[in-house]
Amino acid sequence: MSHFFAAICLILAGGAISLVFARHNLFSRAAAAILISAGCVWGLVDAVIKLTGSVIHSAAFQYLNLFFLAFEMDGLSAFFLAVIFLICLLAAVYSFHYMDDPDSSVKNAVNGFFFSLLVISMALVVTAANMITFMLSWEIMSLSSFFLVIHNYQQKENQKAGYLYFVFSHVGAMFLFAGFGVLYTYTGSFGFTDVHTLPAAAKTLAFVLFFIGFGSKAGVFPFHVWLPHAHPAAPSHISAVMSGVMIKTGIYGILRMYALLEMPAPGFGYLVLAAGVVSGILGVVYALGQTDIKRLLAYSSVENIGIILIGMGIGMIGVSSHNPLMAVLGFSGAIFHVLNHAMFKSLLFMGAGMVVHQTGTRSMDALGGLLKSMKITGFAFIIGSLAICGLPPFNGFAGEFFIYMGGFKGISLDKIPFAVSIAAIVSLAVIGGLALACFTRVVGIVFQGEPRTEAARSRTETGPTMLGAMGVLAGICIVVGVFPGWFFNLVLSAVSALNLGYERIPQAPFAQIAGHITLGALVIVVLVLVVAVLRLLFYRSKPVSRSGTWGCGFTRPTVKMQYTGSSYAFDIIQFFRPAAPLEENHVPIAGRFPAGTSYDSRVHDIAERYMEPAVVRPVQFVFDRLRWIQHGDIHLYIGYILLAIVLLLFFI
Amino acid sequence: MFESIVLWLAAVLTAPFFSAVILKVKAFFGGKKGPPLLINYYTLIKLVSKGSVYSTSTTAVFKMGPVISCATALAALLFLPIAGHIPVISFNGDVILVLYLLGLGRFFTIAAAMDTASPFEGMGAAREAFFPIICEAAMFMILIFFYRMTGELSFAAYFSGTGTLALWQIAGPSLLFIVIAFFIILVTETSRVPVDDPATHLELTMIHEVMVLDHSGPDFALIELGAFCKLFFYAAILSGLILPFESGIAGMGMLLFVAGLFIVYLVVGIIESIIARYRMDKVPQFVLTSFALAFFATIITLELIQ
Repeated sequence: MSHFFAAICLILAGGAISLVFARHNLFSRAAAAILISAGCVWGLVDAVIKLTGSVIHSAAFQYLNLFFLAFEMDGLSAFFLAVIFLICLLAAVYSFHYMDDPDSSVKNAVNGFFFSLLVISMALVVTAANMITFMLSWEIMSLSSFFLVIHNYQQKENQKAGYLYFVFSHVGAMFLFAGFGVLYTYTGSFGFTDVHTLPAAAKTLAFVLFFIGFGSKAGVFPFHVWLPHAHPAAPSHISAVMSGVMIKTGIYGILRMYALLEMPAPGFGYLVLAAGVVSGILGVVYALGQTDIKRLLAYSSVENIGIILIGMGIGMIGVSSHNPLMAVLGFSGAIFHVLNHAMFKSLLFMGAGMVVHQTGTRSMDALGGLLKSMKITGFAFIIGSLAICGLPPFNGFAGEFFIYMGGFKGISLDKIPFAVSIAAIVSLAVIGGLALACFTRVVGIVFQGEPRTEAARSRTETGPTMLGAMGVLAGICIVVGVFPGWFFNLVLSAVSALNLGYERIPQAPFAQIAGHITLGALVIVVLVLVVAVLRLLFYRSKPVSRSGTWGCGFTRPTVKMQYTGSSYAFDIIQFFRPAAPLEENHVPIAGRFPAGTSYDSRVHDIAERYMEPAVVRPVQFVFDRLRWIQHGDIHLYIGYILLAIVLLLFFI
Repeated sequence: MFESIVLWLAAVLTAPFFSAVILKVKAFFGGKKGPPLLINYYTLIKLVSKGSVYSTSTTAVFKMGPVISCATALAALLFLPIAGHIPVISFNGDVILVLYLLGLGRFFTIAAAMDTASPFEGMGAAREAFFPIICEAAMFMILIFFYRMTGELSFAAYFSGTGTLALWQIAGPSLLFIVIAFFIILVTETSRVPVDDPATHLELTMIHEVMVLDHSGPDFALIELGAFCKLFFYAAILSGLILPFESGIAGMGMLLFVAGLFIVYLVVGIIESIIARYRMDKVPQFVLTSFALAFFATIITLELIQ
């Protein structure tokens, strides 16, 4: 594991140097970008080599008998490490020009430092081999990302987002502590090795606690409330890392705990799958209702976490109903989607970052026509959108194809697994359709048509490192989409670390499926090229002219008449009314000489809406009653501590 | 393989002819003589020999739209068994690929429409994005039915050889549901009455037609060809479903397939002649019917195969 730690040290050095030389804007940024990306390359290469080798590596450190830190890198850890290092590498490169703001050079240096901490802590989370190491890394991850979220702390909105994130990540961590507490009660050690010996009831309790704790980090509905606030508040390369990678540590946690608990009860599968279906559909419906481009992308992360959970649910049902092929297809589809979502979501956030950086607004309805002046960003964003809609020949399709194949294996089962598989397949199809509506909307409103306000008029794209990072991600999206075979082998070695009880997973059947995806992708690429050549032939020596858009007989069209994002999504939101209540404020037009009027609409998130009356207020009520305990008298506080210890002694 | 490619080419080339059948039927109901049966070829030739006018609002995406929507329709036909013959390409899971390929075509049709900055095209695009969501759910429900019956995920398993006939013998009644469900999907996906009216003259009431208002010349020809192929694709599936008889006599299968196609196009034409387009807000309910039918069909089979 020495390569791993060397990479970590390099990344930390990058952050530290950036902080020390905070006053020298250029040097500080360059040091952070170069050292962090160098560390990421090192870590990435190491992780991929470990993945293809499939040997478990481990290391342990002990400090004064207090801290026993243990690390272990198996296939699953190595896979997540590869994802983390790949995306953080590109985010670090992107940040070099994105953070180019000499006026706030200290703030940017602090950002660089916490970014390096975030990368390290995520890497440590996925390699942690005991509870202490895990929770330590987990807390560093939550705190460093909290400081990144409040980067623009002067804005009231960001303070609120940061606070919400802080509360949610710590309530989530509390559930994790409770879960680890359950494990510790039975095993009596901080290690993970004996966890499978727990009685069934304790296992269920622990799994549910972990699912809530990790689910709140991953953004599973209804624990996702912080996500659409916190992700847009951070700078865009941080949003890319948070949405693309950090929430996946929640997925890692659920997978790891599932593997450790070794409990093939069908209930787990149903729970995970149901959470996936709800998160998937509601996530994309809320995404459709957003007018802020970064909030929309954040909600779309909830949707993709849903897809990943559906895959995992299918895998777990496959395990419990003794259908190895279904199990491997489900888990591998889910893990493959982790990689794919990391790529296209960070690509989309980077594209959105470029738009926000250049126009100064996040409101989609103020933008428009950016594709004409931002060609690279625009086409990279379109590629990301195609990929996130799961369309061939892009990587999103490859991942979803495996999940579908797994889901259809469940159709031949009986009773509940059958019904649940139907739900999984149909909701995947609906999610796909909704995602298509959602992303044609973003592309159509932000990048196409005519600029709706001055903010969007003839804005150019700048920053070679920003464009480079997006170009690389767009390229990988296509490569993985057309040739998923090699990448899928990496996924399979991650799946084999899941301890599903199958001796060796044969690669041949999966290589065949990957080959089919390649065949399909090549067919469509070739056909598109053929038709494009035909089109060129048709247009040879033909008159081509330019003119205004046909206004259907109306002679004075203005840019304000264009369809807006809200009108585009209106019908679909109406269809999902019970889950996505639409609030409209409209001053009616009355009288012969009507006064000025206005219209605004917002789509409510029911989880957010009911969080206040159902959770916040009861909790506030209870703690309000207990306020007398907090009186500020230190003597009594010490008394409390003594009392608590004495009481605890009775139980030990 | 060679035979399959010839059949694929034949399908692409005859698709415009079959679409003209609908026009003939509608003319018959209107008491008119109607356009010649080769009208669509004349239109395509006319369009190809013209130039184009592009809106100043548009970008390269506008030009990619027709190419990709046409290519995806052609690709879909590659996977379809024509007259019971093995398709050009077939593998386990090709159905999913084809459905997503059609989605790719839809993405670019919508993107090309949004490129023009026209409020009318935006309106059409929003509808084109909405209705197929329900269609896709219904389509996958039908797939679940077929998978439950055959254990396969490819068109070749459903519609080539004696596969379909066997299906009718096992689960005839539910297959009737599937036929109706599929017809609703055909109507929605290919923008026919009662979901969309290809002959309407008011942009506000259009879906597909309004999205292609700004396309002209060869670009428009590609869109038209793509639409003909897409209609042929769905009609061919239905034809395979309703006339699955396998006689063993050479040429008989082809004859039945063409007869089935004629029946489908005739029914589409008759429906277009006798009922009006639904109000836009009723369309989702109409499309949901198809999902419900497919769902019931699947539930019924649970009893049948046990």
